[in-house]
Amino acid sequence: MAASLLIFAKIYGWIGLAAAVPFLAFGLDRIDDSAVGSWVFRTLLIPGIVLLWPLVLWRWFQLETGRGDAQARHRPPIAPQLALALLLALLIPVAILSALVLRQDGPIERPSVLLEAPA
Amino acid sequence: MSVKYVPVQWNAFKWWYDAVLVLFIAIYILAFLRLGLPEADVTRGTDGATVRMRAFGSCAFFLLTLALCIGPLARLDRRFLPLLYNRRHLGVLTAAVAFTHVVYVFNWYYNFIPTDRYEALLTWVPSGGLLGFPIEPLGLFALICLGILAATSHDFWLSFLGAPIWKSLHLLIYPAYFAVVGHVALGYLQSATNPAFAIVFAACACAVAGLHVAAFRKGRAEARAGAGDWVEVPDADALEDGRARIVRLSASERAAVFRHEGQLYAVSNACAHQNGPLGEGRVIDGCITCPWHGFQYRLTDGQSPAPFTEKVPTYRLRRKGRRVEIDRRASPPGTAQTPLPVSDQPHAAEVPA
Repeated sequence: MAASLLIFAKIYGWIGLAAAVPFLAFGLDRIDDSAVGSWVFRTLLIPGIVLLWPLVLWRWFQLETGRGDAQARHRPPIAPQLALALLLALLIPVAILSALVLRQDGPIERPSVLLEAPA
Repeated sequence: MSVKYVPVQWNAFKWWYDAVLVLFIAIYILAFLRLGLPEADVTRGTDGATVRMRAFGSCAFFLLTLALCIGPLARLDRRFLPLLYNRRHLGVLTAAVAFTHVVYVFNWYYNFIPTDRYEALLTWVPSGGLLGFPIEPLGLFALICLGILAATSHDFWLSFLGAPIWKSLHLLIYPAYFAVVGHVALGYLQSATNPAFAIVFAACACAVAGLHVAAFRKGRAEARAGAGDWVEVPDADALEDGRARIVRLSASERAAVFRHEGQLYAVSNACAHQNGPLGEGRVIDGCITCPWHGFQYRLTDGQSPAPFTEKVPTYRLRRKGRRVEIDRRASPPGTAQTPLPVSDQPHAAEVPA
């Protein structure tokens, strides 16, 4: 399982790097006027493209084909943020209290024993 | 505000902000090591390597706590707004400190195992903590979240992905923080003998929880929209000059109605830069000024003054009887609107339409 995960992560990362090359070389200039003539900042985008390349390719396709919702930029997801913030506020005390109440024996209750070296 | 993307838009305030942050991190780490290392010994429960990983781990926790507190603090009290100005750099530094913590953990606990170290990192075993739940996946999840947030913190990403996707992505900060709380509560707190860190840790986490609840309660006081295309802007004529009232138009849309020199103007409440709350800003030099990063928009058309190119949607306003109403249907960004004169007559609380 762990080996499969690692192989998946490596393949995912290499595809991300491969996707970053055409996107940064010419795709960016076609979809964002503010990027034209600016090159240094593109190096900062590489980690994000490697991590999120499926999202980047999908969004690139949307903007190239004019399918993006231009107005969406001005509609941030306010309701989910409030819900998540409140859920976090609820879960934090529960998690800490649970961890402290159900704490198992520690070094004070059961001191560690120095093992002898094997003969 | 910029016309072309640059790696970092430095200014004097950002230099100071970053300098203070780096200084805090350096002092914290050095103090932690100076106090902790003399007590560390391989014959005891805590050795030198453990002290180092705890120094960076706890520092990352405090930085993340600060990052999460800044948002609600700025909503509750405008004096905290300067902290919000450069929060992205705080987030990137937090990710870097957390990564250093992981490097120490990786190079200590996974150094002498016979199998591949990366495979071992993903082969979680019960930690012996609460219910035997392993803490590694919680920490790894939080690190990945922090990495995604740091990697997508440049202005380009908001423009490229659009507010709904970018903001949704950055909501990962909430599950990441919860994972960190679980990582510490099920990890270090299970074996800690000194209650000091447990008290500080719980106080920090509960401060995050309390501040978010307080900010939520303040947000509920915003005007709520009813049904129909035109919705009332409560007490619009009573607005202070240069200030705004935020009107909730739908679950995901807010408008900011500003009063300036006897006229009312309405624009989207979401700044085109990072969706900062324009309605919590004020009019400076005849332009709406975002409280987060100072991006400016003209009152009549929501367009940034030249040479800048940012623009926000605008809304039509009308007077119906004594009430001021706003059209729920936004006009395209940069659309000029006719301002609505403020009524000179004394404001009445309830006036039939």
